[in-house]
Amino acid sequence: MAEYSPIIPREAIDRSFAKQGPKQYTLWVDIEHCIGCNACTIACKAENNTPVGVDYNRVIEIEEGDFRDASKTPNVGVTFVPMPCMHCGQPACQAACPVGAITKRKEDGIVLINKDKCIGCRYCAWACPYGAPQFNAEAKIMEKCTLCVHRTDKGLQPACVTTCPAKVRFFGELNELTMVMRERRAKGVSISVGGADTKPSVQYTSK
Amino acid sequence: MNSLIEIGLQVPVRLDSTLCSRFRSTKSECAACAMVCPAPGAVRLGDGTGNNSAEINAACVGCGACVSACPNGAIRLLEDDQRVAERIAKKARAGEVFRFACIRAQVRADMVLPCLSRLTEALMLEPIRRDARRVELCAPDCSGCGLRKTAQQWERTLAFSQALCDSAGLGVARISSVQVQVGDAQEIRLPARTPNSRRRLFGAIAERLKSGGDERPVEIAAAGGTEPEAFRDIVQRHSENSKRTDLLGVLDALPGLKVTSKHVLAAAIPLGQLDVDQRCVACNVCETLCPTGALTHREEAGNYALEFDAAQCTGCRVCELACYHQALHLRQTVDLALLFQRSRVTLISARLTKCQGCGERILGNGLAFCPACQVSGDRRDSVARSFFSGGN
Repeated sequence: MAEYSPIIPREAIDRSFAKQGPKQYTLWVDIEHCIGCNACTIACKAENNTPVGVDYNRVIEIEEGDFRDASKTPNVGVTFVPMPCMHCGQPACQAACPVGAITKRKEDGIVLINKDKCIGCRYCAWACPYGAPQFNAEAKIMEKCTLCVHRTDKGLQPACVTTCPAKVRFFGELNELTMVMRERRAKGVSISVGGADTKPSVQYTSK
Repeated sequence: MNSLIEIGLQVPVRLDSTLCSRFRSTKSECAACAMVCPAPGAVRLGDGTGNNSAEINAACVGCGACVSACPNGAIRLLEDDQRVAERIAKKARAGEVFRFACIRAQVRADMVLPCLSRLTEALMLEPIRRDARRVELCAPDCSGCGLRKTAQQWERTLAFSQALCDSAGLGVARISSVQVQVGDAQEIRLPARTPNSRRRLFGAIAERLKSGGDERPVEIAAAGGTEPEAFRDIVQRHSENSKRTDLLGVLDALPGLKVTSKHVLAAAIPLGQLDVDQRCVACNVCETLCPTGALTHREEAGNYALEFDAAQCTGCRVCELACYHQALHLRQTVDLALLFQRSRVTLISARLTKCQGCGERILGNGLAFCPACQVSGDRRDSVARSFFSGGN
């Protein structure tokens, strides 16, 4: 793995944290029950009309376990991890952007790219530890998951959440989501990449 | 007469924000105008998030310190440098001492200004270009003046002009400052060739107003008609830094020019010399964001070359701060002879390859995917993997 970019100074990332408001809208993905159907990826593509190669939400397949060792019982499994934008508390992309095109909205904590300002330099792709920003080669700008801001502003749920056939994606305010997770006795898993604690807001629960 | 015309207008300066370093990159923390502005609250700097550009509002007193301080020439007074230079040229006499005085100085001077900080390097050198023996800046002690914050600016401009004189082989002593008593400055008036009639005066005012009146409706139509241009399109253009053009014009015309190399600290003057190292990926951000267009790139037969015009560089550091890969660096010292030579330097030249992922071209040999595509994919994978197997 390419190690997390050390170029963005820690202070720059910390400074961006000061702009976080009290509310943080985010997703909760229950990867224990995710069936890897990629319906979220397709729903996202349809909703945001993204060109080929630009996917705001990708599902990563992870195979683990071993069956070659004859002395043990075969124990293999596959897990699917949907990876949207983490809408971090301290976005590394925001700290990297040279023109201030990336903002974290105070009222709901959604990290957005201003298409009028973006100059398509891809510095955010370099900086993001989760590989979320996508380069749109046609428009020469960066795009990424907006938590379907055009829908959520109207009180609707993001397209991936309404589409998910296994009902493993949930959208809501971070504190409310963690309450629901606690009620369901779901154990949260935090994403952390070596040295890059950008305070990702998307919650995952696993077995 | 100028004051007659300018009374009706609110802000005596205009800011071309496309030249402002802060506008072009939110990473820029340039505060050259705010540091010298004597009027509290006249300059407002952006907060680094949305619009980071500097703004000048009606509290401005029109002293012109920011005009002289802005390295990129983004700020212009209504009576612009060109007109002041013309006035200087008319008054300068060959072989004589040319005196600039601030309005508080008790001295007879060739030109009296509200504040000496109005002078840019080009204006300070203008009398020398017109064969004046020496230039003297007459000012009383600035600490008792309401505009005392601007004193640092004219002293800095003086130091830079002296260094330029030295590099041009004219000697440091051609420009100096003289401390005088506080009093009323008197401007030496040129003998009028024809008697000034009231008809001529009002005729001139009417003409000026008419020409000014032509400009304004055009601006309003441009602002109101179509929707504002996107930032990403604006930064593709590079306006001319008229302040630097004026300075280069004056430097070229200096009599008795014998250029010698002179190295000075880059932090003190609006000049820069750049180095680019192997970390460059040809993203062109430096070229796009450079306010003055000092950086340009060429692509020929799959080869990428970044060129640098040192005479246009104002040392604003936008390129250095914006470069994510930290490939650009400004040198500690600058050779003043660069302003006289106008050489274009090729900073980096390397082969471009096309990424199979995003189709963008990047620097690098034999790479199938650009590092940005490679890194994104790898990161998604490893993040997903790490928190599944190791996160519990």
